This record gives sequence, C-alpha cells and structure tokens, in this order.
Amino acid sequence: MSRDEIPPGTLYLLILKTLALHRKLHGYEIAEAIEQRSEDILQIEEGSLYPALQRMLIKGWVVAEWGVTAGNRRARYYTLTADGKKQLTLELSKFHRIMGAVAKVIQTA
Amino acid sequence: MNLPGEIGRRIRMFFHRDQLYRDLDDEMRLHLELRRQQQVDRGLTPMAAARAAHLKFGNAARIKERSLMAWGSETLESFFSDIAYGTRALLRSPALTLVALASLALGIGANSAIFSLLDAVLLRSLPVQNPQQLVLLGTGQDSGIGNNFVDTELYSYPFYRQLQEKNSVFSDVAAVFSMTDDVHGFVLTNKGESTTDSELMHVNLVSGTYFPMLGVQAALGRTLTEADDNSQGNHPVVVLSNGFWKRALASDPNVLNRKIKLGTTIFTVVGVAPVEFFGTRVGESPDMWVPMSMTKSVPPGWDAYDKNFTQSMNVIGRLKPGVSLTQATANVNLLMQQITRGFSDADLSQKNLDKLSKTHVALTPMANGLSSIRQQFSEPLQILMAIVALVLLIACANIANLLLARSTARARELAVRQALGAQRSRLIRQLLTESLTLALIGGLLGIGFALIANRFLLRMVSGGPDVLPIDVGLNLRLLAFTFAVTIATAILFGTIPAFRATRLHLTDSLKDGRGPASAGARNPLAKVLVISQVALSLVLTVGAGLFLRSLVNLNHIDPGFNRENVLRLQVETDALGYKDNDPRLNALYQQIEARVNALPGVKAASFSAFTFHEGSWSDAVLVPGMPNNENVSVHQNVVGNGYFKTMQIPLIAGRTFSSSDTATSQRVAVISEHIAKTLFPPGSPIGQHFHVGDNKPANEYEVIGIVKDAKFNTLQEQTKNINYLSYVQRPWGFGDFEVRYSGDFDTISASVQQAIKSINRNVRIAHVTTLDAQVARSMTNERLVAQLSAFFGLLAVFLSAIGIYGLMSYVVSRRTNEIGIRMALGAARSNVSWMVMREILLLVAIGIAIGIPVTLAGDRLVANMLFGLKGTDPLSLTAAVVLLVLVASTAGYLPAKRASKIDPMEALRYE
Repeated sequence: MSRDEIPPGTLYLLILKTLALHRKLHGYEIAEAIEQRSEDILQIEEGSLYPALQRMLIKGWVVAEWGVTAGNRRARYYTLTADGKKQLTLELSKFHRIMGAVAKVIQTA
Repeated sequence: MNLPGEIGRRIRMFFHRDQLYRDLDDEMRLHLELRRQQQVDRGLTPMAAARAAHLKFGNAARIKERSLMAWGSETLESFFSDIAYGTRALLRSPALTLVALASLALGIGANSAIFSLLDAVLLRSLPVQNPQQLVLLGTGQDSGIGNNFVDTELYSYPFYRQLQEKNSVFSDVAAVFSMTDDVHGFVLTNKGESTTDSELMHVNLVSGTYFPMLGVQAALGRTLTEADDNSQGNHPVVVLSNGFWKRALASDPNVLNRKIKLGTTIFTVVGVAPVEFFGTRVGESPDMWVPMSMTKSVPPGWDAYDKNFTQSMNVIGRLKPGVSLTQATANVNLLMQQITRGFSDADLSQKNLDKLSKTHVALTPMANGLSSIRQQFSEPLQILMAIVALVLLIACANIANLLLARSTARARELAVRQALGAQRSRLIRQLLTESLTLALIGGLLGIGFALIANRFLLRMVSGGPDVLPIDVGLNLRLLAFTFAVTIATAILFGTIPAFRATRLHLTDSLKDGRGPASAGARNPLAKVLVISQVALSLVLTVGAGLFLRSLVNLNHIDPGFNRENVLRLQVETDALGYKDNDPRLNALYQQIEARVNALPGVKAASFSAFTFHEGSWSDAVLVPGMPNNENVSVHQNVVGNGYFKTMQIPLIAGRTFSSSDTATSQRVAVISEHIAKTLFPPGSPIGQHFHVGDNKPANEYEVIGIVKDAKFNTLQEQTKNINYLSYVQRPWGFGDFEVRYSGDFDTISASVQQAIKSINRNVRIAHVTTLDAQVARSMTNERLVAQLSAFFGLLAVFLSAIGIYGLMSYVVSRRTNEIGIRMALGAARSNVSWMVMREILLLVAIGIAIGIPVTLAGDRLVANMLFGLKGTDPLSLTAAVVLLVLVASTAGYLPAKRASKIDPMEALRYE
C-alpha cells in the first residue's frame, strides 16, 4: 500500500483537529489517530510531531501535562487551549480557501 | 496572537532547559517504545520492530535539536559561549585589545559627553506635564525690561492678565519674569534671626498660574497659586528649588514656614519644588520663585505689576486640546491689538498705531524651554558633535584595520573550523560577537570617560567662576544614545573584517600562506581604511587649525582700551537700602574712587555701568538736523571721572569729565569718534547739544569731548557707538569698579577691597577679576571649539598613526619573504626601507588628495565660527598636511627600518 506525504503546512492543522476531537492525547496517540483517521493514507514522519508540538506550546495553542498511560507508563498529554481552538478555525478556513482554489483551477483545466 | 505570553514562555523555558531536554527525551522514548511494541504485536522480531519504529520516527537526534531550536535557546546559548570565546580571544592579544579599547573609550566617550551637553541645551523637554502643548509668545530671544508701546518678545504683567482672561485658545496662561534677580538675602532661623552671612540667591518672579499651568507639583508643601498673585504687595511667600533647599537649608524637613529675607521683606517658605524642575529657562536655575505680586519687595524692586506699558515678562500658554498653532497665533494677534489699544493710558498717536498695526506676534513651541544659552551654544555644540563623530569614525577604521590584520593572522584557525564543517554564518556571528564584546566594554569605559569629561566641559562652557546649572549627569537618554553608538560602532568596525576573514580559499590558508593568498597581503581593504583615516584626520586638523587661528585673530583685535593690568570688581550697595538716585550713593562712589586712587600701585580707578561684555543700555542719540539718528541704537555707559584714564581710552578732542561737572551744572557727555562722524552734522560736535532717548529737557546733554572707539560687547562686533555720561549727573546703581594698577594683582586686589570696606563695611564686593579675563570670557565659545577641536584633531592624527603603523608592520611581516629575495638579489637596505616608506607616503598622499576637497566643503559649514580668515586658509591647510606627513612617516619609520634589517638568509628560511 502506498502512503502519501502530508501536504506542507498542514501538520499544525492535523494536530489541532486531532486534539479537538480527542481532547487529551500524548504524542504517540496523536500520530496513531492521524494515521487511522486518514485510513493510513497520510504518513507523517512521526518524529516531526515533536518540534511542531514544541512550537505550538510556545505559541500557546496547546498545554502539556504529565500523566500515566493505560499501560501505566509516564506520558506527556497535550490539550487544546482557547487560543488553540481559535487557531484551528483559522487554519481550517485557510485550508478550505486554498483547497477550494486548487479545486477551481483543476476543474477549469 | 499573544506575544507577551509567548516571550514569557520562552524566557521561563530558557531557565528550565534541562527540564526541557529530559521531558523531550522521555516522551520520545515512550513513542519509540510504544511503536516498537505495536510492531512486535504484529509479529515482527524485536530487532525488526525496533528498526521499523526508528524508521517511522525519523532522525531522533535531529528532531530533538529542532524541538529545542523552536525555543530559540540554542541561539542564546551560543551567544554566551561566543562572548566567552571572544573575551578569551581578545585577552590573547592584549596590546591590540588595549589600543582598540582606548580608542573606543575615547571615541564613544567624547560622543556621549558632547551629546549630553547638546541634549541638555538643545534637545531635552522640560520636566513638566505635556511639554509639547506649551507655546511661548514671541521667539524667546530677548530678556530684560523696557518701556515700549508694543513689544513682541516681552509683555507687561497687565497684558498677561488681559490675555489670560480674553483668550480662547489656551487652557491656561502664565507669565514669568524674563530675568532672574540676583539678591543677597538671608535664610532666617526659626526664631527669625539671621545667623549666617547673606548669600546670593537667584530669584525668579512668576505669575500665580506658573506652577499650576506647567503642572508641576511641590515635592514638599505647596507651589504658588493664583491666590498668591491677586493683589500687590501682601503675599510674601516663596517656593524654593530643591537644590537650594538642600544647599542652603541642609534639606531641613521642617522647611515649611521658615523665613527668607530678601531686601527688607521677610518671605515665608510655602513649598519646595521637585528635584528635576529647574524652571523654564535652560541654563538658569532659580533658587526660588516669588509671586509677581511681590515684585517691588524683591531687590532691585522692579515696578512692573500694574504698569501697562512696562514689558518684562515671558508669556507662556498651554494650548487647549485640538487647537493648532495657527489658530492660537491668530487669536493672540487679534487680542494683542485689542488689549494694547484698550489700556486706559495707551498713547494712541498715529506713529504708535502704525507700529501696532504692523506688529505680528509669532508663537514658538517651547517644549524644550526658553534659553539664552541655546542660541549661543547651538552652533559650537553642533560643530563639536560633528568633530567627535568623525573621531569615532577614525577610531572605527582603526579597529577594523586591527581586526582585519588579526583575522588574517587567525586565518588558519578559521580555515580549520570551516574545514571541520562550521557554517560560515556561524563564524561570522562569532566574529561579530567578539566585536560587540569589544564595543560594549569600550562603551562602558566611554560612559565613565564621558562623565568625567562632562565636568570639564561644563566648566569650559561656562567660561566664568559659576558653572552653568544644566544637568549633564547620567540619564536614560544618554545611556540609550551611548548604547546606540556602541552598537553602530561594532557593526561599522566588525562587519567587514568578519566577512573578509571567513571568505577563504581553504586550501591556501591551510598551507599557511604559501599559495597565491600571500599576494593578498597587499590588502586593498586595509589600505582603503588607512586612506580614509588620513582623509578624515586632515579634515579635523585643518578644522582645528582654523579654529585656533581664528581665536588668535580674535585675541589680536584691538578692543580700543588696554585690557592689561586692570582689576575689575563689583561693588554692591543694595544692603545699604539706598534708592538709585540717593545722593549718598554718589558720595560713597566718589569716596571709594578717591581712597583707592591714593593707594600705592594704583594708577587710576573709576566706577562705570559697564566695562566689556556685560550687556548694555542702548538708546538713541538725538541731534537736531539728523533725523535718522532715531533708528541708530547707541550704547550708553555711565562712568566716573577717571574712567578713560583707567581704561586708557585715548581722548581725541575736547576734555573728559572732571570735578567741575556736578549734579547741578550743565549736563555733559563724551562721545565716541564714530558717533561724532556719523550722528552729528559736519564740523566739530564739541559744544553741541543733543538728547538721549527722547526730547525731554532732562535728557539733554552737551558734548564736551570725543574719545577713540572701543569695543563694548564682543570683540567681533562692528558697532562703535558709545556715549559716555557722568554718574554725578546721571545716577546709576552701580556695579562695576575698575582699577588700573602696576605690580602684583593679588596685593592690589587685597588692598583695594580693604580700602572699600574701610569706607563702608556693609557694601559687598563680588566678581573680583581682571579686565583681561572679562575680555577672554567673551570668547568662551571660540576658545571651547578651538581647544576641543585641537584636542580631537591630535587624537585623530594619533589614531591614524596607529593605523598606519599597524598596517605597515603587518605588510612588512607578510612580505618578509619577498624582501629577503630582493636583498639576496642585491637590493640595498636603503632601497628596501624606501620601498616601504614609499607605500606609506602614497597612502598618505591619496588620503590628503581625497581629504582636501572634503575639508574645503566642510569648512564652509563652519564659516560662521571663524574670524578674520576664510575656510580656504592656506596656512592651516599646509600645516595640517605637513603634520600628517610627518606623523605618518614617523609611524611608518619603524616598520620600514625593520624591513631593512631583514637578514636575507633568515627570510628565505622563514618559508
């Protein structure tokens, strides 16, 4: 089965949306959730989640707290903040705008 | 976007970065672990599972690095390590570091010092509420007291009152007396006694609205209010300046209700002004403020509170919000006409009405305050600012050159680092950090230097015994300025060497200059730097030469009197309580003159209203048949009988004042030659009658003598009109007393003062000096600019010499090999040193060739400050060129000599 790289710039959007759906996840769960929901089509270099998460922490879109997994392992859980929710709406509308534009170009062509 | 939060998070993280490392490690390890587990569950071998997990995850080390970089802490960290590294690198070459730091400290310090003066005099806003709303009626160029029908600079107190009431553009209006009164007052003890001797107090009369309008709150007690100023003579209250409170009352916390005696009136202290408030006139800081209602009680007792046509006040308004300067100007000018015409005692003659209708008041924004010193110092300060900026540029070129030479020496180190994979940008950043470290240390030293220099500067600027009361201490603006200059300096001297040093042919450098790179030893960039140093030095030395010559020229001007061997002091009689026209005063003056005249060593002595550079009383000399005289202002001096003998102003015709001229005899005058020639009809004016000021009989005088022209206010001035009157006939509350003496100044000075005191113990003697010093004081500006520009000119030449020496030493050391070969092939030692010297002279010649047109252009800008010569003064130019060539040759001599001493065998082995 071939897997596609995610379009550049959408990683934030994917993380934000995933967190919005699941409320509270650690890094591995985020990666898993993205891949499952995309039915394994979208493949992310899983490591790249972490720099992205750090940047989102800096921007204040997410907050992190340490917790314990079902397997009783220590893990850092991320939750969306109010700023993060706002950002999600922003990223979504941007995404739709771009996709819409791309669609138009393709249709007329 | 929440920026402050973001910055906060970054900073917090910077201090917890160990935590950040650990957390990242932990969560990434968990991720890999979980993924590996999943793969194992799917049936992979543990080895294959781990591999798959790592593959999916990507380069963990790189990812960790990227995560950390997101916080920016990596940049900060490397910045600190760069600073540490840079400091070590600087310490490794202490001589270079020392020279660089010294030139930086001098360069930056000089800039800071001049800037703080410039800032205090020209730029800084008054420490009051919203200073940008303040406007002044007129231009603030005038101060004093006068009786005119209309004046656009100074205003009468009743005019201010009317304006305050009728205007529609100001939220409030205040008036401040245009001069401070110097009063010898007493600080009384709580029991109301004066235990100490009197002291000089600078008193400023202000309207009651002054403090409220400015929005200045008292530091202690209260400020003056409208209630202190609503009726004349019955509000003996005073607000002290913070400085005076500290100085004269030892910061007494119970200062309120203490008393101060000015003249014969006892004033109650009601408040102390805040420490930063110095009034509204930069360069004068009053010791106390007294309501205008008390003007008659403050010596000399100006009578101005209810005189509609006695102009003495500066009027300041605070614009209402939204009112433009144009609207305010229109309103004020309209009211000017109405108010002036409306005064009950207005002399509405056609002449006056014509004058009034032509009058236009200009409003001047006065956020920076009034200043009589601003005009005087703005040009010299700007010139000095330009000079020190040039010096700093030279210093920058110098340091750039040194760094360039050093970075070439460090080429191997840099090449190795680049070969090992260091990014060029990273190396540049590190070199720039080194420059910045250097500059910052230099800047710090510079501030220290500036603070010391400022005290000297202020003393030089003041030009007299009293230091100008302007604040040139350390403040935020000065620090900000210095910091900006420092950063700019670092960029200027650091950038080019950093880029040059990292642009390397790696292999050549690693071969230690055995490749074609050694041809690069003829470093064109370094030469350009030296050339520009020489050019700038030329500009500065020529400037210094011009200013010095101009000072000498000024000093050679014949003032018309003999400035040598004259003692000059001030005799103050206000403690005696006599009125100006009290006959006892004149008797006292005559007694003093007679007693001092009889002293051994005294040749002549006389009182006078003025000697030189002390202001003036000017009025027209009205001669029948000479209608234009009305427009010519003539300095009036009131003198004693011995004045001309004391000053040695030669008599040309007639006689000078004598004992036969008495209070009741015909009023007589002695006129200067120029008056006789221009203001009198042809023929001898002796015996002719004329009027001073107006045609009232009391102002009629007969010419009895003509004396040679003399200077009155400055040496440069062209005015030669002086009319002398006798104080016996025209009483004057004097000041000046002059004594022509022979022998030792201190002895004469002591015996003269003793003689005066022996006549009346209560007169006060002040400002003891010589006429020569008085004349020199009139040249304060010229001397200041000349001395400082000479100092900075020499500094510039010195810095250039270091630059040349550094460059040539470097060139010689790089060319040792070549020189060795030349000598082995038979070149004479003298040829070799000439080869080096030739190079130096060529650089200097090019520098001079570039410098000359720049100098000529620059000198045109300072033409105003020059006297008796033009910007194209060939002597200054030649002198500067000779100086530069001499210094450059000296600086180049050592390297040249070293080159000639090279042993060919050694040099060839050097390879």
